[in-house]
Amino acid sequence: MRIGIKYCGGCNESYKREMIEEILKRELKNCQFFYSNNADLIVCISGCKKGCAAEKVSGNFVHFDEWVGENKVLTKIKTKLSELLRS
Amino acid sequence: MMNGKQYIESLRKLKPRIYFMGRKIESVADDPVLAPHVNAAAMTYELAFDPRYEDIITATSHLTGEKINRFTHIHQSTEDLVKKVRMLRLLGQKTGSCFQRCVGCDAINALYITSYDIDKKYGTEYHERVKEYIKYVQKEDLMPAGAMTDVKGDRSKRPSQQVDKDLYVRIVEKREDGIIVRGAKAHITGAVNSHEIIVMPTRALEADEKEYAVAFAVPVDAEGVTMIFGRQTNDLRRLDGDVDCGNAKYATVGGEALIIFEDVFVPWERVFMCGEYDFASQLVEVFATFHRQNYGGCKVGVADVLIGATANVAEMQGIAKAPHVIDKITEMIHLAETCWCCSLACSYEGYKTPSGAYMPNPLLANVTKLNITRFPYEWSRLAQDVTGGIVITLPSEKDYRNPETRKLIDKYLKGVADVPTEHRIRMIRLVENLSIGAELPESMHGAGSPQAQKIMIARRSNLEMKKEMAKIIAGIKPDEHFKRIRGISEEEFFSKLK
Ligand SMILES: Cc1cc2nc3c(=O)[nH]c(=O)nc-3n(C[C@H](O)[C@H](O)[C@H](O)COP(=O)(O)OP(=O)(O)OC[C@H]3O[C@@H](n4cnc5c(N)ncnc54)[C@H](O)[C@@H]3O)c2cc1C
Repeated sequence: MRIGIKYCGGCNESYKREMIEEILKRELKNCQFFYSNNADLIVCISGCKKGCAAEKVSGNFVHFDEWVGENKVLTKIKTKLSELLRS
Repeated sequence: MMNGKQYIESLRKLKPRIYFMGRKIESVADDPVLAPHVNAAAMTYELAFDPRYEDIITATSHLTGEKINRFTHIHQSTEDLVKKVRMLRLLGQKTGSCFQRCVGCDAINALYITSYDIDKKYGTEYHERVKEYIKYVQKEDLMPAGAMTDVKGDRSKRPSQQVDKDLYVRIVEKREDGIIVRGAKAHITGAVNSHEIIVMPTRALEADEKEYAVAFAVPVDAEGVTMIFGRQTNDLRRLDGDVDCGNAKYATVGGEALIIFEDVFVPWERVFMCGEYDFASQLVEVFATFHRQNYGGCKVGVADVLIGATANVAEMQGIAKAPHVIDKITEMIHLAETCWCCSLACSYEGYKTPSGAYMPNPLLANVTKLNITRFPYEWSRLAQDVTGGIVITLPSEKDYRNPETRKLIDKYLKGVADVPTEHRIRMIRLVENLSIGAELPESMHGAGSPQAQKIMIARRSNLEMKKEMAKIIAGIKPDEHFKRIRGISEEEFFSKLK
């Protein structure tokens, strides 16, 4: 599975956005990661509720705009991945 | 696009004539006093290659369709204007300093908008020249300095009335291949580490002042250009190590220079205004609007660092939980975010100009900058209050490095037990750097002194309309809505009470 990571510009982030990328790379060893929209799943990482990272994204994506804790990050991604695998 | 390292390398290829402290600077990129300013500008290049930031640091050129650094972009929407101030806040946070590149960005945008209007009135070809120049700046990812402020001599006199005619930059000769210019521009941010200098008039001009109505671009090392780099409070601390200056990597404020043009030749393709005196005030106002828009971005990014430093000092000195300290830090945040609101508001309220480029709302941009002439003084005052007298009485780094005195400093300047004394010293030096030195006058005068904003605010605020509103509410003028609400006139309604 190809995962594209799309960050917002990070002008005034309310949490350390990189934490999400680190978790994904650590836990999803079978996936390949790119900084590109050309992917099976795009993970949009916004630093705040304005949600700039997801503004112009379409297709299969998940969006984080606040820190929800490691477990919730993984659950959200894994749910989306299994949805994609089923379809 | 260039990255940070490539930008620094690009400076080594230029040969500008720069003086500082009585000596000629051999390499801007490598001189220990200038290098921190170079590093701050380099951040504007480096973040364009970082996926975490590229969404705001890069843009798509409307001229070529290429991906470019946003500092070379002509704003095509209010979203672009918003992204610009987001980019400035981010860079303020990453450098804790002025990264200098906004002035050139504002200059190309102001020229783009104004040259279009000049051409429309006079059938000139400035706009095409400006477009070609911008394409060049975008392709090479250049940093032009924006040089507007003339040295001005006797402020009570117009350019044409000065005893010395060269106190405002002027055209001294028009030739077949270009023009010759003479004069000087003061306080020019990042000039010494720019690739180009864009010159614009500094004020409204009259019909007998056509020679002063000149805008152009030259390389920093053009023949006849000399720069004298300005002194800043504590600048030579940079030679003493990495502690005393507070921000050893990125310095403070932009690093400003006096630029002298001694009969400099400018080829026609780089001349963007030549005698159109009636457009000087528009160019100044458009540039000033863009530049005043910025300050609730960059200064707030720098304030974020100062707020963080103050909170760290409070923790390191054991006062972080005191209610008045919490209140003071919250007040600093409130002041900073108020300025941020202003920058966002003037950007979201921006509009499309006849050229197709967007500019911020001028009234709100001036309000943004006027707040910046005040609020940083207040947030600095609060930072100094929380930090204590030590903010100006710390021993020097040299004494800290001297084993004889280090152990005494380590023991007696300790704050809370688990924080090394050196950390406390570094944090206090950062507060000093951000709240005492060049930062404050920069807030006052950069992008224009307060009076310049007051004039614009007065001109743009539609006071007549407000007087009219007051007359309607006070019952001096008829209120059409009241009549509709009550079905009878005000006179009839109130006659019952009389
Ligand atoms: C750190 C820093 C960076 C800067 N960077 C740039 C830059 O990159 N590019 C650029 O072009 N400029 C730059 N400037 C210049 C800035 O725009 C000017 O400092 C500002 O416009 C004020 O001009 P001045 O410094 O000459 O002060 P002055 O014009 O001398 O103003 C001093 C006082 O005199 C008053 N005054 C001036 N003229 C009159 C008058 N005719 N009647 C009554 N009162 C008057 C002013 O209101 C003010 O109170 C920078 C300034 C600073 C401090």
